[in-house]
Amino acid sequence: MKSSSFCLLLLSIACVPAAAAESPWRLGIAAGYGERSNPLVLSDDIPIAIDIDVAWFGKRFFFDNGDLGYTFTDNELVTGSLVARFNSDRVFFGRTETRLVNVGFTGDVLQDAVQVRVPDRDYAVEAGFELLSDGPWGYLQFTAHHDVSGKHDGYELDLNYGVGWRGRRWYIEPSVGLSYKSAALNDYYWGVRLEESGAALPVYQPGAGLNVRGRLALSYFLSRHWAFSLAAEYERLNDEAADSPIVEDSRVLGYFAGIRYRF
Amino acid sequence: MYPFTVRTSATLLLLPFLLPLTDPATADEPETVEITNIANMAEITVRPLLCIVDQRTPVCEMVFHVNWRSEERGYYCVLSNLEEAPLRCWSEQRTGQLRDQRSVAEDFSYMINEGDGEPPLDSVTVEVVRMDSDDRRRRRRTRHVWDLL
Repeated sequence: MKSSSFCLLLLSIACVPAAAAESPWRLGIAAGYGERSNPLVLSDDIPIAIDIDVAWFGKRFFFDNGDLGYTFTDNELVTGSLVARFNSDRVFFGRTETRLVNVGFTGDVLQDAVQVRVPDRDYAVEAGFELLSDGPWGYLQFTAHHDVSGKHDGYELDLNYGVGWRGRRWYIEPSVGLSYKSAALNDYYWGVRLEESGAALPVYQPGAGLNVRGRLALSYFLSRHWAFSLAAEYERLNDEAADSPIVEDSRVLGYFAGIRYRF
Repeated sequence: MYPFTVRTSATLLLLPFLLPLTDPATADEPETVEITNIANMAEITVRPLLCIVDQRTPVCEMVFHVNWRSEERGYYCVLSNLEEAPLRCWSEQRTGQLRDQRSVAEDFSYMINEGDGEPPLDSVTVEVVRMDSDDRRRRRRTRHVWDLL
């Protein structure tokens, strides 16, 4: 992927990806058990039994598990791509339920029980760019995405750093990340609008905020294709989102343990 | 990216076609090894059989423990496909062992034969698996926590 020429301008379109020697496809499947906690009130955690990995990387275009990209530069220092994707905050809103409550989400005791449900939220299509860099120090990923579907009209900036170590059959990769969510994005997913509010669910309009996360992935290889894999991730929602009346836990915890096959 | 809904549903449908019906431990061993082994009653084993490399450590440096045994005493040599000369030969022996220290970046094989020019009686391939890729995009983090693969 690294071209022989060195580009001084990070975003120079003069730098083109070198021809890939390996298969453009990356296909894999993992089976095991895991969960991702759901920070929303009246919601269920998200169980994980099987996960598949489907990606295709061409010279410029690529598809990576739902993300579509066009690589406009690739050099010794950085790989830059334009990327279209779906917003990830929406995933929590798919496992919510409706309940009768007599205590509001702000702790107030209600005179009569009322039916409450977490408001519906849609997937937003977001477009932006990403810059990737790596070296002996690890790898770095910066992304900037803006809503292009008219759902939240906000944006998100994300920075992720990771480094891997290998043993004979082991590979361990810790990573950390920051994700800045604009006020418009936070408000769409974590706010409560007037028409959605009620005795148990007050109006709430969050501002912008910064999510923080850490992740640890560990693999034990049985062969070229088979490996045991463990992954755990902790993410802390930004204060503006965490203070929402539809949020009961500011932490999102996830883990998965299973066996995987890479084709 | 949507762990239990879209991704899982797709996988459940594809599962019977995606998983080959092979034992993980023997999936990559050539069939000829078994056939040759039975005919000549010689067996070679190697530990470890796998080494992981990556961009930062592209070469696997380790000591390989090679053991062989045969049902008949005789003259046997252990070779690798990286050198023409045998690593070691034994006379009038039924078993033998060898510690072979080497640096490798690609798959290679150890073989046992009955001397110069004889066909291999058995062979074992050591896999050197590259963990990462020169294509940085293959290491990009997608936004679901389950990007293990």
